[in-house]
Amino acid sequence: MSDYAFRKIDIDALDEDVLLPSDLYDPDPRGPDGVLSDAQSKSSEVRNLISRGDIAGALNTILTDPPYGEGVDEAKNLTTTALLLILNSTRASEISGILKALGQDQQDHLMAYLYKGMAAIGQGGDVSGSVLLNWHEKLTEVAGVGCIVRVMTDRRTL
Amino acid sequence: MVSLQSFDPSRSNTLRPYLNAVRATLTAALTLENFSSQVVERHNKPEVETSTSPEVLLHPLVVSRNESERVLIEPSVNSIRLSIAIKQADEIEKILCHKFTRFMMMRAEGFVILRRKPLPGYDISFLITNFHSESMLKHKLVDFIIQFMEDVDKEISEMKLSLNARARIVAESYLSTVSIGSSSDFVSYVSEFLP
Amino acid sequence: MSAPEVFQLSFGPLTGIAFSPDRSQVAVCPNSNEVLIYARNGDSWDLKDTLAEHDKLVTAISWAPNTNRIVTCSQDRNAYVWTHNGSAWQPALCLLRINRAATCVKWSPNEDKFAVGSGARTIAICSFDEENNWWVSKHIKKPLRSTVLSIDWHPNNVLLAAGAADAKAYVFSAYLKGIDSKPQPGVWGDKLPFSTIAGDFKSPNGGWVHDVAFSPSGDALAFVAHDSSLSVVYPAGPGEPLAAHISVRLPSLPFVNLTFVSESSLIAAGHDCQPVLFSGSSSGWAIAESLDDPASSGSKPLTPHATGARPSGGVGRLGNNEAFNMFKAADSRGQRGVPAPGGAPTSAGLTPVGSDGLLLTVHQNTITHVEPYEWNSNGDVSKITTAGRDGRLVLWTVPAGKGGLAGKMAGLQV
Repeated sequence: MSDYAFRKIDIDALDEDVLLPSDLYDPDPRGPDGVLSDAQSKSSEVRNLISRGDIAGALNTILTDPPYGEGVDEAKNLTTTALLLILNSTRASEISGILKALGQDQQDHLMAYLYKGMAAIGQGGDVSGSVLLNWHEKLTEVAGVGCIVRVMTDRRTL
Repeated sequence: MVSLQSFDPSRSNTLRPYLNAVRATLTAALTLENFSSQVVERHNKPEVETSTSPEVLLHPLVVSRNESERVLIEPSVNSIRLSIAIKQADEIEKILCHKFTRFMMMRAEGFVILRRKPLPGYDISFLITNFHSESMLKHKLVDFIIQFMEDVDKEISEMKLSLNARARIVAESYLSTVSIGSSSDFVSYVSEFLP
Repeated sequence: MSAPEVFQLSFGPLTGIAFSPDRSQVAVCPNSNEVLIYARNGDSWDLKDTLAEHDKLVTAISWAPNTNRIVTCSQDRNAYVWTHNGSAWQPALCLLRINRAATCVKWSPNEDKFAVGSGARTIAICSFDEENNWWVSKHIKKPLRSTVLSIDWHPNNVLLAAGAADAKAYVFSAYLKGIDSKPQPGVWGDKLPFSTIAGDFKSPNGGWVHDVAFSPSGDALAFVAHDSSLSVVYPAGPGEPLAAHISVRLPSLPFVNLTFVSESSLIAAGHDCQPVLFSGSSSGWAIAESLDDPASSGSKPLTPHATGARPSGGVGRLGNNEAFNMFKAADSRGQRGVPAPGGAPTSAGLTPVGSDGLLLTVHQNTITHVEPYEWNSNGDVSKITTAGRDGRLVLWTVPAGKGGLAGKMAGLQV
């Protein structure tokens, strides 16, 4: 009578009507391989654009259809690295203008990446808190707190 | 004598955007409503603590300033949990911070929104439910958290200075009663070793 | 635009609110298990009746305009139908057969049935059983998989919209044999047996759907979600793709309630504490104006932004008190007599938000209810009522010319 493991079974998980986190969003139609090749081409394109000084174009490229969901970690890492590179190579005075030119979707995605970047500080992230906080402040001014609410609600983890 | 305002000036230039980011995130997260449990009958519990329904929990967000100072905000439909990692530069600050937060958390009932235990990796946690945001003005709750974050750093560095000053005073008064020929020389000699 | 009428009915949240058919009485729940009925007396409201039958928080109240019956539902899993027998309100229990909290309730347009949304992932459609003299229910279960947060009836008395915490808005058929006559085929479908799904729509960024509403004609469905969005859906017909699915994402905090004021305008309100008028059509929707904009009244914004502006000594407003500093020095450093050199930084106390420390909007907390209050001669809503977590009940005049520049000009002339 020493086996109490059955007491810890989560019986709600066996309910056929149970709602799983994966049911809350649609998977990316491109599939994992398509997402990865997309991310690779975008990240090299971004490097090109940065070297030419086209920060707005680079940001626009990387924030369009970013990888999300499960099983695309490599693509996510590529995108995040490229994005942080853009953030680091932007002059502080240019930020507001660039942000205003972004679409609503892209602003939401950028906000999600800013939080992701801040979560990575102290875990080997190579970006400084002050850069991210500066972007965050400017983005909140442009896109409002609604943008932050959408980062919280969106189940498509970037 | 030391001044209490002796903050490192290089630190304060990121303090304002840091607190602004926390304020904006907290304002966005404090959009709570009364939500009765959909798992347990006739219960109404903070969903962020029970975490039994994935759809009513939202993305946790981290606002961080550097490796040692960050805020974790975990929103849900009827409650949010906010955890703060307080800067601790050396051993004394670690002890003071631990004592200070422990003092508060042991009296958590008196602080209404304080959680009795911090989350692992953080020094102090708050649990704000819809009942708090209903009975208190939301912007005042946000103000309170921001004020707390501003003050806790000040409080700890102030306590650290006080601790040193107190050690100095104790050393002086203790040593002045000890009759050594040139006691004043000795005091000034000893106090050089005090931090 | 005339100034809104404000009544402080309670100091806690108002969780349910419903007006009597002639608008002389109002039933509210002051965040408790009781429903209070107030009668209007000039500029104030007098308590008239107390409906006490529930034993947990009452979540919603609906008052039928023609049959003068009240239905209340609560987190205790029950709903009661109250009828006035001339002297008092009599409760009748309804057999909901749900095992979680009831979250929302609404009479159908014909008032022969009502719907109750619940945390049991179920919507109960209740009708009166003459034989047994009680209210019985029929359940809509599939495909609901989360708490139902809101419901709304289509004007044809058959279709029912529901918003749920799984970030979806649904349109179901709530056709009951023996009560409803066969509905006319419309844009939502032609064959509608009970619990048919006529449509389901996702919120754009995965927010819980807080409220749903059919337009006055019933040919469009609007819903607000927790991702600060307002979506309006125009179906084209059964089996065809949608004619339009418009999502407006807002820079403000989420809305939790909305109501149509005409076919081309609606009012939404929520965590921003101000009702906002939207106008549009199947080609697009946009904010027309806020009914209570603190910025346009020439005062401060809704939330203060300057964090650094708050001068603070370690201990709030006691910071520059000499006696206090003396004790503080004695406490922290063992010093007596002389205040600590350097001292605590001086503090001017707390900086208030308004001059009185309150928000500059009429509502001081989230607005949880927006209902039409008065209609004008051509059937459009001319006055709305809002109630919120601050215990206030407010009557607003809807700006006359529905939004746009014309609307603003009309507002100025009044």
